[in-house]
Amino acid sequence: MQRSGELTAERATGHTAPAAGLARRFEEQRRRFYSNLLLPALVALMVVTLLPTIYLVVVSLTPLDLARPETHWDFSRPFAQYENVLNDSRLHNSLWVQAKLSFWSVLLQVVLGFVFALLLNVSSKVLMALRTVFLIPMVLPPIVVAIIWKVLYTPDISPFHWATEALGFVVPSLITDPNWALTAIIIADVWEWFPFVMLMVLASLQMMPSEYIEAAKVDGASVLQLTFYVTLPYLKGVLLVAALFRLVDSIKAFPLIYILTDGGPGTVTEVTNFYSFIQAFNFSYLGFSSAITVVLVVITIFLSWLIIRMVGWGQRVD
Amino acid sequence: MDLDRQNRSSGARATLGAARLHRRQLLQSALAGSAALAVGLRAPAVLGQAKQFAGVTLQGASFASTFFGYLENYIPEFEEATGMKVNFETNAFPVFNQRTDLELSTQGSALDVINVTFIYSGRWIGAGWVENLKPYLEDPNLTPDDWDPQDFVGGTMASLSDANGDPYGFPWEAGAMIMAAARADLLEQKGLGLPTTFDELMNVCDQTKGMERVAPFTADKLHHWNWIPYLMGFGGTVFKDPPANLTPTWDTPQAAEAADFYGRLLSEYGPPGVLSFTDDQAMQSQKTGRANMRTQAITWMVPLAKDPDSRVKDTVRYGLVPSGPSGAFPGSNSHGFGIPVGSKNKEAAWEFIKWAVGKQTTLRMLEQHGYPSICRRSIIDTELFKETLTLNGQDVASLYLEVLELGGKGGYMKYRTVPQFPQVGDKLNKAIEKVATGQATGLEAMAEAQAEAVADLKKSGVQIDAG
Repeated sequence: MQRSGELTAERATGHTAPAAGLARRFEEQRRRFYSNLLLPALVALMVVTLLPTIYLVVVSLTPLDLARPETHWDFSRPFAQYENVLNDSRLHNSLWVQAKLSFWSVLLQVVLGFVFALLLNVSSKVLMALRTVFLIPMVLPPIVVAIIWKVLYTPDISPFHWATEALGFVVPSLITDPNWALTAIIIADVWEWFPFVMLMVLASLQMMPSEYIEAAKVDGASVLQLTFYVTLPYLKGVLLVAALFRLVDSIKAFPLIYILTDGGPGTVTEVTNFYSFIQAFNFSYLGFSSAITVVLVVITIFLSWLIIRMVGWGQRVD
Repeated sequence: MDLDRQNRSSGARATLGAARLHRRQLLQSALAGSAALAVGLRAPAVLGQAKQFAGVTLQGASFASTFFGYLENYIPEFEEATGMKVNFETNAFPVFNQRTDLELSTQGSALDVINVTFIYSGRWIGAGWVENLKPYLEDPNLTPDDWDPQDFVGGTMASLSDANGDPYGFPWEAGAMIMAAARADLLEQKGLGLPTTFDELMNVCDQTKGMERVAPFTADKLHHWNWIPYLMGFGGTVFKDPPANLTPTWDTPQAAEAADFYGRLLSEYGPPGVLSFTDDQAMQSQKTGRANMRTQAITWMVPLAKDPDSRVKDTVRYGLVPSGPSGAFPGSNSHGFGIPVGSKNKEAAWEFIKWAVGKQTTLRMLEQHGYPSICRRSIIDTELFKETLTLNGQDVASLYLEVLELGGKGGYMKYRTVPQFPQVGDKLNKAIEKVATGQATGLEAMAEAQAEAVADLKKSGVQIDAG
């Protein structure tokens, strides 16, 4: 404010040209100052994220195999690994598995998260306590979640299998049955992450103006009508954000698959990042694994762009 | 942990003091003497000063095995004798291999002594990731004459040596695949003996299915080890002519038949969840009497008769792996201790190896724990070995030697030590899972696995035959 006042005074006294120069210089200094302030953060960001990504892309242009030193920095056929990506049917299968896993787990997480949030959005001491209980799966380390479900899915030691056996029917081991293995992973993933959606929806519900409900009630709306015509439209934005976050996160599904099925039986639960992991760390094909990872990064960036386009930078959709 | 070890150590000393003069005491004295001798020979100049490896912390790693459970009891004594501290970590087989492979590939110094896994030995030795131990053997300051490297059974050293015969590891386990029927009494009830052919095996499974809710057959999920005797028994091979020609030979009627046969054993006769079983889970399924027959290395079979918590001690019987139309091809292998080239404590690591697979420790393992996978000929030839491996009246020691000799003579285990076997083996694992779960027939699964393996081998620069 003070600077603006000074410039106006300079204009009034007729010293426009020197004043304009001064203002320009000041503006440059100001920009430089801000740039200098930003520089350390930008450098840190570059070192932490950009350089590894560039290195990943560079490695993907080589056939790097740790057991064969001659493959280091071999750029003779830079797109050979991408050709392998196009020709690898097991990789393509893993993308399809990933799509199925993401679709069902996100859908179920959103539906369950929404339903549980509605049920828990009542002021009651019991329900307040229940909210905390429901959050437990989400705060557990993923590897612990995986071990819990490994126990539940292993017939010899599973209370679930004991119970079904006591009731007189035998349930096959879900994680070794090709018809159930992916479903078993989805169930565990939904159990772990529906509280995330529930938490977001619950927070939004508690900020919802009561006038909306009251006005609809005055108009004679039933409970179902209130849910579908008032609550759901109000929550549309938050549900979308939660779903898209879960979608991006579902691409990173790893511990459950590593512990529960190891990608099997066969390749029924082998998702793309797990396949990439095997290529890099079981077989040392770092070049090929990097090419797969670059493709995954592109997909993730596309999804992130989609989120930003649909949700906007910090704007409320509703 | 340290306190615990100290307690165990002092407990062991107390036992020594209390015991009367008999074989056990002699063995223990020999061990203590050997440890002291090792230190003394290593560096006489430091006698009377600090212990040679005082202040050194040795980092070791291997896959979990009964061997390390036994060895852990003796480590405090070794630490006391040498002054070094030993941190030895064991993990599940695939986890250990994966971590170590990565660590070795970076030539890092995080590990000082490792297990050189059979299927990775070609890769690790070929890439120069583990230390050549010949100079250590040739240096009298590092190795006493009576340590006797020639004492290791020839076959067990094959995978741990390079083309010139230089050793890169010394074995702690010789794996000889045999068959064990945990509930042989069920077979007897049906008037059946232990199966000797594939047809008999299928028949026994069929006849005993449903008896006392015991699954007739069990296995762990490492199919590229368990299934190969069946593949070879039906006349198939893994590669055309390993190590010279690594063209996979799986799109054949023999491989398809073997996959269908083994898939049926698992799917129709295995316990629920058998496809996810680790070695230990498969052993537990037998020890608890929930599953009957298994073909696996002897290390996992002897505990059925020896472990105090085994419920099948009186009913377990042992036999050779059944033979197929083309003969019997029981798997044999060996795992040994080696030193990563990046280790900063190589001499300490060698000291540990000398001790861990030395005659005295090996003898003690046998005497006190009945450890069966002995690699030293001088101990295999003892009456004690035969006595220890006479289980329920059966001479299991003879079975063990027969398998080791068969593997050595036939040369059919060469497929397993080629550097590319880890990635090729993964394709076999997946194929067997697909067959066992009905996702594909043997023919389809093996043809698919063949195509994937060829692509993978080409990726690693291997020449594959056309067609």
